[in-house]
Amino acid sequence: MDRVVFESVRKVFRHRPALFNWLGRERGGETVALRDLSFSAAAGEVLVLLGPNGSGKTTALKLISTMLLPDSGSVRVTGFDTRRGAGQVRRQVGIAVASERSFFPRLSARENLEFFAALDEVPRRERAERIDQVLDDTGLAEQADMLVMKFSSGMYQRLGIARALVKRPCVLLLDEPTRSLDAATTAHFWTTIRTLARQQATILLATHNFAEAAAVGDRLLLLQRGELLADRSIRSGESMEELRSFYFHTTGEVDEAAGMAHRVGRVR
Amino acid sequence: MNSALDKLYAILRRDLLTSIRHRSGFVLTFAGLLAELAAFYFLARAIGPSFRPNGIEYFPFLLVGTGLYTFFVMSTQAFLDTVQEAQRTGTMEVLMTTSTAPAELVILSSISTLAGNLVNLVIYLAAGAAIFRASVHANLLACLVVLVLSLALALALGITAAALQVTFQKGSALVWLLGSGLWFLSGTMFPIQSLPRSLELLARAIPLTYAIEATRMALLQGQSVTSIASSLLALLGFSLVLLPLALWGLSYSLHRARQNGTLSFY
Repeated sequence: MDRVVFESVRKVFRHRPALFNWLGRERGGETVALRDLSFSAAAGEVLVLLGPNGSGKTTALKLISTMLLPDSGSVRVTGFDTRRGAGQVRRQVGIAVASERSFFPRLSARENLEFFAALDEVPRRERAERIDQVLDDTGLAEQADMLVMKFSSGMYQRLGIARALVKRPCVLLLDEPTRSLDAATTAHFWTTIRTLARQQATILLATHNFAEAAAVGDRLLLLQRGELLADRSIRSGESMEELRSFYFHTTGEVDEAAGMAHRVGRVR
Repeated sequence: MNSALDKLYAILRRDLLTSIRHRSGFVLTFAGLLAELAAFYFLARAIGPSFRPNGIEYFPFLLVGTGLYTFFVMSTQAFLDTVQEAQRTGTMEVLMTTSTAPAELVILSSISTLAGNLVNLVIYLAAGAAIFRASVHANLLACLVVLVLSLALALALGITAAALQVTFQKGSALVWLLGSGLWFLSGTMFPIQSLPRSLELLARAIPLTYAIEATRMALLQGQSVTSIASSLLALLGFSLVLLPLALWGLSYSLHRARQNGTLSFY
């Protein structure tokens, strides 16, 4: 059975200018974030969401996590609709959001994880062991008892991943999870993702990183302006260059980086 | 039940750790409280012992009025601060994706918030009695009943501020209303009978008036539950109407924010 199912999901954000808008230049109107998006993700699958900024990747993840509700269509997680069964959905889903500082600054990393683990109903007797495990997995064991207000961006990001993992969700949502991570932590994180997938977790990963997509993905969804342009599998051994070329060919965007690489090569 | 207690413990622990790690804030709060008490004590002395509103010495009258009024304002402000901080730091959205239902989360958080402000109120009243010799003749049962009803009222005000913050990003409007208009209408510093008739009637429509009045009678005059029944019934009525309304308002505002994608707007 599919773990995550989107059926003709539409999401629009409406902007209403402030009351006394003649003082400013704020514009009204609406942004269509998702247009009748349909897809599904199975247990044990790593689904990569690729697309330019504003394509709807984060919106799709937020709809699964119940942070947002769809305007029309339905989002189901393990059979529960996110509108009618939000509580059941939240028990299955873990999310690591892109905003790094979503922690209590005057608590340590461990105290933050203990707090969220309690709200996520992680059994008390398992809590300490699971927290140690995710701190290890994210390379934060040594900083476990440091107040998070002293953390760097990368450490915040790692802690966000640790928080998502501590409840052992069957659906894991990751929004640009390695954006601020160093190379070694990123490589270790990719291994963790594949291990979780082998344990039958469904993972949806929004990224701009083709190497990441090639390293961990089983399938990719390519979104542009809220529409699904492509839904295809990622072949074993498919390189980041192949994915990159597929991305630019399908979206029609100009690959300036390729031109830049060519120029750098010529200078050398 | 165990799970709710476990979550409550986690929230209390978070708030306690956060507040004690704000060491300077802790000390400043206590110093400010003593300075406020001293100001009211000398104000009462300057006015003289002949001024006994509702038959109560003026300093204890002020002590209860200002203590309770501050409790309501600070509790409402604390709810607002919690929501604003969660919106600013991004924890709002994450908290809303945990396995804990949003309403349960708000109620559990409110217990912690109200407990903190209640401790401040008790310290304030105790310091007024111990250091500045305010005469207290408490009827404990009546005090307990007033306290429970006042907590329900504070909860309703706080939740309303939180709902206003989530919907309009303007929960501060309620705190402003409490701070500007309601303090002189709720009998904080003088009896409402001194007001013109029309304003006195308006004061009777404010729940805080009954909370302050009932606390003075129970704590300072030792009056029993039956003798302050009319104030208690008024408080009960306000709580029964305002609390469900506030909870519905919060639930609606969270739903709307999820629909509009404005959960973390501030």
